[in-house]
Amino acid sequence: MPNDMNKPPSRRGFLDLILALGTFITTVAVAIPGLMYLWPAAKGGGPDKVEVEGASNMAPGQGKTIQVGSQAVVVVRHRGGFKAYSAVCTHLGCLVKWEQSSKSFLCPCHAAVFDENGKVVSGPPPAPLPEFVVKEIGDKVFVSAA
Amino acid sequence: MGLGKSVKQFFDDRFDTKLAAELFTKQAFKRLPPRTGWLHVFGSLSLLLFISQTITGIMLLIYYRPTPEAAHKSIQYITAEVQFGWMYRQIHAWGASVMIMAVIIHMIRTFFMGSYKKPRELTWVTGVILFILTITFGFTGYLLPWNQIAFWATTVGTESANKVPVIGDWLQYFLRGGDAVTGETLSRFFVVHVIILPWALTGVIAVHLFLMRLNNLATLERVDEEVPLKPEHGIPFFPVHVTKEGVVAVLLLAVLVTLAVVYPWEIGEPANPLETPPHIKPEWYFLPSYQLLKYFEGTYGALMGIIGCSVPFVLLLLWPFLDRGKERHPKKRPLAVGFGLFGLLGAMFLGYLGHISETEQTFFGKRYHITLKGWPVPLDDATDEAPPKH
Ligand code: HEM
Ligand code: FES
Repeated sequence: MPNDMNKPPSRRGFLDLILALGTFITTVAVAIPGLMYLWPAAKGGGPDKVEVEGASNMAPGQGKTIQVGSQAVVVVRHRGGFKAYSAVCTHLGCLVKWEQSSKSFLCPCHAAVFDENGKVVSGPPPAPLPEFVVKEIGDKVFVSAA
Repeated sequence: MGLGKSVKQFFDDRFDTKLAAELFTKQAFKRLPPRTGWLHVFGSLSLLLFISQTITGIMLLIYYRPTPEAAHKSIQYITAEVQFGWMYRQIHAWGASVMIMAVIIHMIRTFFMGSYKKPRELTWVTGVILFILTITFGFTGYLLPWNQIAFWATTVGTESANKVPVIGDWLQYFLRGGDAVTGETLSRFFVVHVIILPWALTGVIAVHLFLMRLNNLATLERVDEEVPLKPEHGIPFFPVHVTKEGVVAVLLLAVLVTLAVVYPWEIGEPANPLETPPHIKPEWYFLPSYQLLKYFEGTYGALMGIIGCSVPFVLLLLWPFLDRGKERHPKKRPLAVGFGLFGLLGAMFLGYLGHISETEQTFFGKRYHITLKGWPVPLDDATDEAPPKH
């Protein structure tokens, strides 16, 4: 009704508006810190760059699962050097294991197979295993997220 | 004046005790429809189990510690050191499964008897909410012992959350309290399991029971053509129906204690975030969704899988508004009954496939390897461990 729009709001209507607005603002003001409180704070886990312990003792072909930040990572020693891939299967998050004999990563949950470069060979995972950055300094090996 | 009398006088002087007494008698001796019988005990059985879970849960809480370092040890302590600790833990763990079973049977009963129809649509809707809350109870409780199976089943379970469109990653991060399942996840699940869900369930149960009493129990008569119940034809809630419920309560106690003694739940290995054990499967009530998710692959598939798993619950919630036929008797509702049977048998079949997937089974004397998706692949005789030859 166009007439209504031009009418000055009644005192009653104005008070209702203030009340509704006040209730809304108060609710939001109370809810926001509550939601922020529930949001996970700092990411847990260890440091983002990790030295692979006992790396120099690993034989070529051997693999090892370590923790980088809050992520499990498999480090494999190849003839040419070290490579590291996320151990978290891209299907539903189980941890893959390095199989020295078949040179592949196997997931125990739904029998997925990834090749030595982290590519899916068979099974349900939709994506390859993400690669991690490896730095070899002297005989020390460091792994960090890409 | 005796003590009893003066106590009564104290309340009479302050409250409308006559009204309270009337309300109480009306509810206690309420007349139920004449055919109220043994099929109608599964609702109160579910309630009894909730009470049992609450009591045993509170007892476990006295010794349970919700941290990754202490949780597994505290369950071992409850089982080995605390007197009767093993029993309360077993009754709680078994009670969870039995409670979900009771709720499902109760739903099946009300579905096939058409009890969800007008005017009881909202009683049904609150019932479906109770079902969902009960399953969530199971999911959150399962993690609490912090063993390998629970840790990895929860990892896989919460991983599915990030397949939800748009908010998936946030949702998963929020549920886990971080990138991976950690002590933060344990804390969150613990709070949900022992504080939020018990109160939520209590509130929804109150509404559910209130609505149930308001409309009384359904009969098999057509909607809007119910003949009003004559009090002299009804069955009094107390003592007739209550006696049946009492019998069920005693049987329940016997069943729970027997299960606890004969088939105890194991505590399992403590969780190891750096190693996934083989053969992780969820609890039986998640097996149908677990199996269904396997048939959807790729980015769009994952989305379809989430939709496929939510559709049954949405259908359940909306069912009374979709099926508006007037008939209640199952024989006169072939479509609804057929649909219900299809859903039920489908869920059972999927659950069975989930149960046998990735194992070896013998069918008709031949060994098969059952794949991830449930296809049987004959094992060639060389690898066979001598099947019975006829
Ligand atoms: C209402 C109050 C409840 C409280 C205070 C409570 C408390 C607890 C506690 C402290 C634990 C850890 C001890 C243990 O794992 O044995 C636990 C475990 C568990 N709870 Fe509950 N609970 C309650 C209700 C329920 C309900 C209604 C269900 C399911 C329908 C349920 C299902 C479970 C399951 C499956 C476990 C794991 C059992 C195991 O493996 O030991 N709980 N609960
Ligand atoms: S989680 Fe690795 S194949 Fe499913």
